Amino acid sequence: MVVVGVPRALLYYVYFPFWRRFFSELGVEVVLSAPTSEDFFIAGAKAVVDEVCAPVKIAMGHILSLAPHVDYVLVPRFVSVEPRTYICPKLMGLPDMIRHNGLKMPPLLAPDIDLSRGYLGLGQVLTETSRVLGKGWWESGRAFYRALPEVSRTRRQLMTGLTPEEAFHGTLRLHQPGRRLRIALLGHPYSIYDPLLSMNIIERLRSLDVDVVTAEMLPDEHIALGLARLQKKLFWTLSKMVLGAGLYFLHHDSEVEGIIVMSSFGCGLESLVGDMLERFARRQEFPMLHLTVDEHSAEAGLVTRLEAFVETVRGRTSHAHHLSPYGNAELGNASAP
Amino acid sequence: MRITFPHMGTLSLAMQALLENLGLEVVMPPPITSRTLSLGAKYSPECVCLPFKVNIGNYIEAMELGADTVVMAGGIGPCRLGYYAELQREILFDLGFNAKMIVLEPPQGGVTELWGKISSLTRGHNILSVARVFYFAWRLAKSLDNVEKTLHHVRALEKTRGLCDIIWSDAQSTIGRARTLRELWAAETRIKERLATLPLRTGGAPLRVGLVGEIYMLLEPKVNLGLAERLGYLGVEVHRSMFVSDWVTHHLVPDPRAKILARKVKRAAKPYLRGHVGGHGLETIGHSVLYAEEGMDGIIQVLPLTCMPEIVAQSILPTVSQKYEVPILTLVMDEHAGETGLQTRLEAFVDMMRSRKKQGGSVLKYGN
Amino acid sequence: METRVYLGVDVGSVSTKLVAIDSMGRVLGDCYLQTQGQPIRAIQKGLDEVRRVLPQNATVAGVATTGSGRVIAAALLGADIVKNEITAHATATLRVLPAARTIIEIGGQDSKLILLNHGVVTDFAMNTVCAAGTGSFLDRQAHRLGLPVEDLGELALQAKKPTRIAGRCAVFAESDMIHKQQSGHSLPDIVAGLCEALVRNYMNNVGKGKTVKGPVSFQGGVAANTGIRKAFEVALETPVVVPEHYRVMGALGAAYLAAETVGKSVFRGFGVVEANCHAISEPCLSCGNSCEVVRFVMEGRVLAHWGDRCGKYSNKQLSSAGS
Repeated sequence: MVVVGVPRALLYYVYFPFWRRFFSELGVEVVLSAPTSEDFFIAGAKAVVDEVCAPVKIAMGHILSLAPHVDYVLVPRFVSVEPRTYICPKLMGLPDMIRHNGLKMPPLLAPDIDLSRGYLGLGQVLTETSRVLGKGWWESGRAFYRALPEVSRTRRQLMTGLTPEEAFHGTLRLHQPGRRLRIALLGHPYSIYDPLLSMNIIERLRSLDVDVVTAEMLPDEHIALGLARLQKKLFWTLSKMVLGAGLYFLHHDSEVEGIIVMSSFGCGLESLVGDMLERFARRQEFPMLHLTVDEHSAEAGLVTRLEAFVETVRGRTSHAHHLSPYGNAELGNASAP
Repeated sequence: MRITFPHMGTLSLAMQALLENLGLEVVMPPPITSRTLSLGAKYSPECVCLPFKVNIGNYIEAMELGADTVVMAGGIGPCRLGYYAELQREILFDLGFNAKMIVLEPPQGGVTELWGKISSLTRGHNILSVARVFYFAWRLAKSLDNVEKTLHHVRALEKTRGLCDIIWSDAQSTIGRARTLRELWAAETRIKERLATLPLRTGGAPLRVGLVGEIYMLLEPKVNLGLAERLGYLGVEVHRSMFVSDWVTHHLVPDPRAKILARKVKRAAKPYLRGHVGGHGLETIGHSVLYAEEGMDGIIQVLPLTCMPEIVAQSILPTVSQKYEVPILTLVMDEHAGETGLQTRLEAFVDMMRSRKKQGGSVLKYGN
Repeated sequence: METRVYLGVDVGSVSTKLVAIDSMGRVLGDCYLQTQGQPIRAIQKGLDEVRRVLPQNATVAGVATTGSGRVIAAALLGADIVKNEITAHATATLRVLPAARTIIEIGGQDSKLILLNHGVVTDFAMNTVCAAGTGSFLDRQAHRLGLPVEDLGELALQAKKPTRIAGRCAVFAESDMIHKQQSGHSLPDIVAGLCEALVRNYMNNVGKGKTVKGPVSFQGGVAANTGIRKAFEVALETPVVVPEHYRVMGALGAAYLAAETVGKSVFRGFGVVEANCHAISEPCLSCGNSCEVVRFVMEGRVLAHWGDRCGKYSNKQLSSAGS
């Protein structure tokens, strides 16, 4: 039986149930890499140019870890998942960056996922998977058709307030009353849900008695409401989630009391979108904390900033002071706004 | 309406001609200086690409001189350029400048949308006259590009150092001032004569280097610190993969020759990069392959810090370098790029190319 | 019978080095001092020191300058050859270690990697943007720990289990170190981790994609640090040699190049040690370039210009290309 490795990184956090179902319908065994640990980072950083962002380095580490155990590693060439919108240039170049990094890399299963010009682009996925895995085109088509509902099912699960890992692996989270403070955590899914990169921020916030809301937990209509405030359509899918959710919380939602934005150091998309969101929040004097993460493990810094932010927001709520909470922090560097 | 635009090499001269021929009032942004860069860096997000920062510097300095409208290029992604205008507008707003941004780009909603956007610029002109004005601006840009291309090739051989630069200065002011085809032809003739009578050394076989990378860094000499000129003084014949008129032809006008070249570049890149990554990442690889096949002695890639498409290209170029045994130098630049550092790298690169060429044979094989 | 000597001067942003050799290529004297933002004074001081160790009948038959301050050094001293540091380092290394295939040089602000084959530089790389893989990073951390930077090496060798210190950005790395210190990691372990971090940053940035072959020559001020040398040996899996004159290899290479001077040297004489000089820079507004032109003045006389792209001011073409 053919074995395909799925790296627990990048768009795993959005599409894993789809791939899991797809490969199972095809009779292909799926191996998932372990949760991110520091070794993945170290190994991954060696395999790619230094200027690239941390999530890509982490993904490289996952790919390398899977190599000895599988026949192919799944690294789709993610160009676009909706018309006229893209994911990110680095992800568009990822399979080729891997093939040409001069190191011994495992064979890839790298279908093009390009819907920028319409849904017919999906045909390529079937062609490529059939070719590499040796299955018939119709067989792949049927597996695809059966797996497709997983995409919306996953969305619905996330909207109930679960994180991807909780949804994918069937963890039940009991609703705990008494958590009054709702704070939004916005960022690309492979940053905020990655245990290493995010330094388990979701768990930490929950332990501070905070109800965490992410963009993935919002229904599409709410994101669209937020995005409607923009003068020009954004052409990055992940940024649309971040900015759309951010604008929704700023203007249409009265339950979320603060926003935490988590971006990777060097992320091109976030350099624009993160700044825009900050400006909009500042104009409303809405509490916002901007965290920049990269390879490092100074958790003390993160904990301090989180606690300070949560206290500030809690203070505002209970005393209704009109305090401007203005702070913008990079971990490891206390800079003035 | 007092219009300004960002600097990008000779594009500013073409823009000025375009807008003045439409009868509009133009505020030329002051030349890029360290003040421009500081202003830009101060008011832009830290990790945004250098072109964005320089744009902001240009806009602020132009607004200080009374401009209230910005005309600039845009895009449809995935390169950040497509969303520059949106954030720039917000930054200017927060600084107290209520600027109107007119963005020229492939429309998201059809040709009527594009016409609607530029209608404020073309008031009082019919479509034929607008077409004529755009054609003239493009022709002016092409004229300057042809002069620049020639100078890139001959600077390595000039007998009197600095003469090429004087001709370039002259070209920019005479051709740049033309507003009718007749004036343009006159200016071109004059410059052609100067070029024809430029004293050159004979018997030299200068090193040949291809320049690839992100378009803004390639075209704007103030941010690439006069890269092409420096190479010329070091005795190198420069071949640059992009010029202003090429960009316009490729992105805004359906020119068949441009399309053919674009396909050739894409085909050359195919074995290394399967498809687009936004910006000019694919072109960087394609041009590098074509330059290598033409027997260039070296290739230099220039990119601004954090440029995503070029980072992808940067990680793949070593394979091209190895395959064709051609040295490739990558220069990552930001607003604090030091001139001495650049000069050192260029000199070392030129020395290396020269000694490799002299030695020839086995030393050129990588991994030997 | 006069002894012909050749001077090599390497003016860097952090340190200035001078080396004097005889016509057989033997080192007669060398000098290493802090530039401290005043290159002219540093060169004068260095020249004064070197002068003392030269034989009585010495005449300077050739001078070459290199480093980021090579132009000002050439204006001050009168130089026959001005070359970039890559070539200078390669020249020196190939003379003292002809079999060397790789040079790793880590200076205060710059790091370089130079690949050699058959006596020729076949490839090189310099750090792209930041300082995380350079000497200034180490200096800053040593200062923060209250240790002399020279002692870091020995301390690192005492480590039992080097702490992993993360961060390609010096700021992130520092915050990580602070955290680890406060978690109780021992000082030797942290310092060893620091050395490994520097090597890792160097390899990921300067060394990325380059095939490093041995023998490797490790030079520059940081080469004194045995902890770093060992970390390189482990990372590269090949022996790493630190040449005798590791601190002044750039100047040594320049001196070897100076020895190729034909005819009379343009050296201005040891009198420049006491000369009153300064450099003034002004923008030239003749054309759109607005170059910052530097005027070098000694005892009231303008001796040299540089910084103009067109050459209007500079008399001599001070570049390494032949013309």
